[in-house]
Amino acid sequence: MSARTDTGAVVALARKDLQLLLRNRGALFFAIAWPVLVAVFFGSVFGGLGPRGQIPIALVDEDGTPASGKLVERLRTTKGIELSVAPLEEAERLVRQGKRAVAVIVPRGYGEASGRLFHGAPARLTLAIDPSRTAEAAMAEGILTGAAMQGVQEALTDPVTSRAMVDRSLADLETAPPGADRDAATRFLGELRTFVGRPSVTSGSAPGASPAWQQVAIERRALAATGEKPRNAFDVTFPQGILWGVIGSALGFALSLVTERTRGTLSRLQTAPIARGHVLAGKALACFVTILAVEGLLFALGRLAFGVRPSSWGLLIAAGFSVAVCFVGIMMVVAVLGQTEQSAGGLGWAVMLPLTMVGGGMVPLFAMPAWMQVVGTVSPVHWGILALEGAIWRGFGPAELALPCGVLMAIGVLGLVAGARLFARE
Amino acid sequence: MLSLTHVHMRFGDVVAVDDLSLEVRAGEILGLLGPNGAGKTTTVSLAVGLLAPDAGEVTLANLGSPRLPGVRRRLGLAPQALALYELLSPEENLRFFGRIQGLSGRALSVRVAWALEFASLTERRRDPTRILSGGMQRRLNLAAALVHDPELVILDEPTVGVDPQSRNAILDRILELRGRGRTVVYTTHYMEEAARICDRVAIIDHGRLLALGTVEELIGRYGGEPALVARVDGTERRLNTREPAAALARFAAEGRVDDFRVERADLEGVFLQLTGRRLRD
Repeated sequence: MSARTDTGAVVALARKDLQLLLRNRGALFFAIAWPVLVAVFFGSVFGGLGPRGQIPIALVDEDGTPASGKLVERLRTTKGIELSVAPLEEAERLVRQGKRAVAVIVPRGYGEASGRLFHGAPARLTLAIDPSRTAEAAMAEGILTGAAMQGVQEALTDPVTSRAMVDRSLADLETAPPGADRDAATRFLGELRTFVGRPSVTSGSAPGASPAWQQVAIERRALAATGEKPRNAFDVTFPQGILWGVIGSALGFALSLVTERTRGTLSRLQTAPIARGHVLAGKALACFVTILAVEGLLFALGRLAFGVRPSSWGLLIAAGFSVAVCFVGIMMVVAVLGQTEQSAGGLGWAVMLPLTMVGGGMVPLFAMPAWMQVVGTVSPVHWGILALEGAIWRGFGPAELALPCGVLMAIGVLGLVAGARLFARE
Repeated sequence: MLSLTHVHMRFGDVVAVDDLSLEVRAGEILGLLGPNGAGKTTTVSLAVGLLAPDAGEVTLANLGSPRLPGVRRRLGLAPQALALYELLSPEENLRFFGRIQGLSGRALSVRVAWALEFASLTERRRDPTRILSGGMQRRLNLAAALVHDPELVILDEPTVGVDPQSRNAILDRILELRGRGRTVVYTTHYMEEAARICDRVAIIDHGRLLALGTVEELIGRYGGEPALVARVDGTERRLNTREPAAALARFAAEGRVDDFRVERADLEGVFLQLTGRRLRD
């Protein structure tokens, strides 16, 4: 046969296998649906489905004063929370249903209490929390404390507001029972009144125009996307899901070659005017195309729906290509060694399942103990996940990606050669 | 068209084909007749190049061994198993097998249409193969061996597991192939089929060729004389003779003949004579 006819036969074989795959619901499930379930489920468990990194909070404003209004506005602009204002019953329902981690209740009297300085009952806020989300509740408490303190700080650095607060407190003290505490507080507030009543030394302009004083100023600085941390849980679970899809596809194709053998279609192919290598090449081509399609589909889903994005498209393509070559090689060996569907399926999963477990297919690589990370290096799954993570969030450059990609390519080429030799020997 | 010369094949300790020599003539239907395990399928595998003989030579159309891809273009195989893709339609199966045989474009479409018509599956061409009846799948299995119009067609037990109506349809189509000048090698353990369609029959057992010839030749050579069976005065009498009319006259002279029949030898008798056992044992 000419080279053109050879290519035509290989393409025909690959096309047939792709047709069969598209009509095999079971194979499609394990190639696409199962990996998506893995990626989305574990991503949701570890990272939540709300806006990424934000704690969902329901706020009930029972006070309705300018002070409580200011608190609400301050919280609306606070990063790290997703705020929605609701009546009390609605807010509690949202927490019970798990749609909000915390309900913040601003009770009546908040505005009154927050106008007092150094005496009287403190301004109170109530948190209604979902007991299963204590970590988020603790973070919400910290954010609320910060917002409330910011209000006090703004009041003290505004001369008009602070003088009014001091005057009101001094008036309250006049009706308090006599004693050493009252005298000390009166002296302190008198000095404070003198301090806040003096002209501003920083600007000399209108009261209230001076910059707010802060004990500690915390700035946020966004890091570039190449930071060596996953941006969200899906950055971790989608490479895992992609590897599950790749394994499902590869083992599916391995089984399909065994099925050809047991059903007799392989005999028919072997009596056609094509070389045995063409049969294997067709299977490998179909497997390769399928793995690339599975990788592309899963990544597109991760990109569009879960914010997964590569640090470099070029490196991601290189990683995906290497993973495909590696698992096509593995498919070839399993296909040739398995004489029946049962033995090929058993052999495939018996080998791949432990390799997937130690390779980071179930527990993220970075969460594994050090010794297991070392053991995991025997697994192609480890190198596959590392390559994909390197291109997505680990910030690998070409030099760093070369190691996992090189290992994957080497495994793939070894598998291809071994599979072809074993097949030729049959 | 196909010659096997002193071919020997063994699997471990089992001798599957033992010094088999056979010449298949162009345009004939040659039946390979033998019981299960006689070595028919191994002989077929050697003939189509799926197996390489331990010794001896297999040559197709004076071109060389069928293990050479270029030589295999001349033959078509319908394996005993239904070697089809169940999730594909008959048309898709035939298009695929045509493509790997090197057909493309209009030539492929023409041959696929012919094969569908040959298998009487034109109306069901787009149904998934898995929902077709057993007989339809058998016909498709045959059509897939013919889609590239091979000169030699090798059919390995093509009527196994089909109903009598489908069996007749398959046998009619094989005769049609001979009418189109194709050479057919047909393995079976049904002697009636061999007697009906084969120009010559090769009887095989334990991997050895026991006899080769037309059905008449084999019966004449190994079947023995016809038998006259008559009920004379209430007693059944049997006499092997080449002149049953004369024998019947003798019975009539001896008593009252109530009933009689002449039993001719058949391939079953030939096989029994050659091997000491029946074909379906």
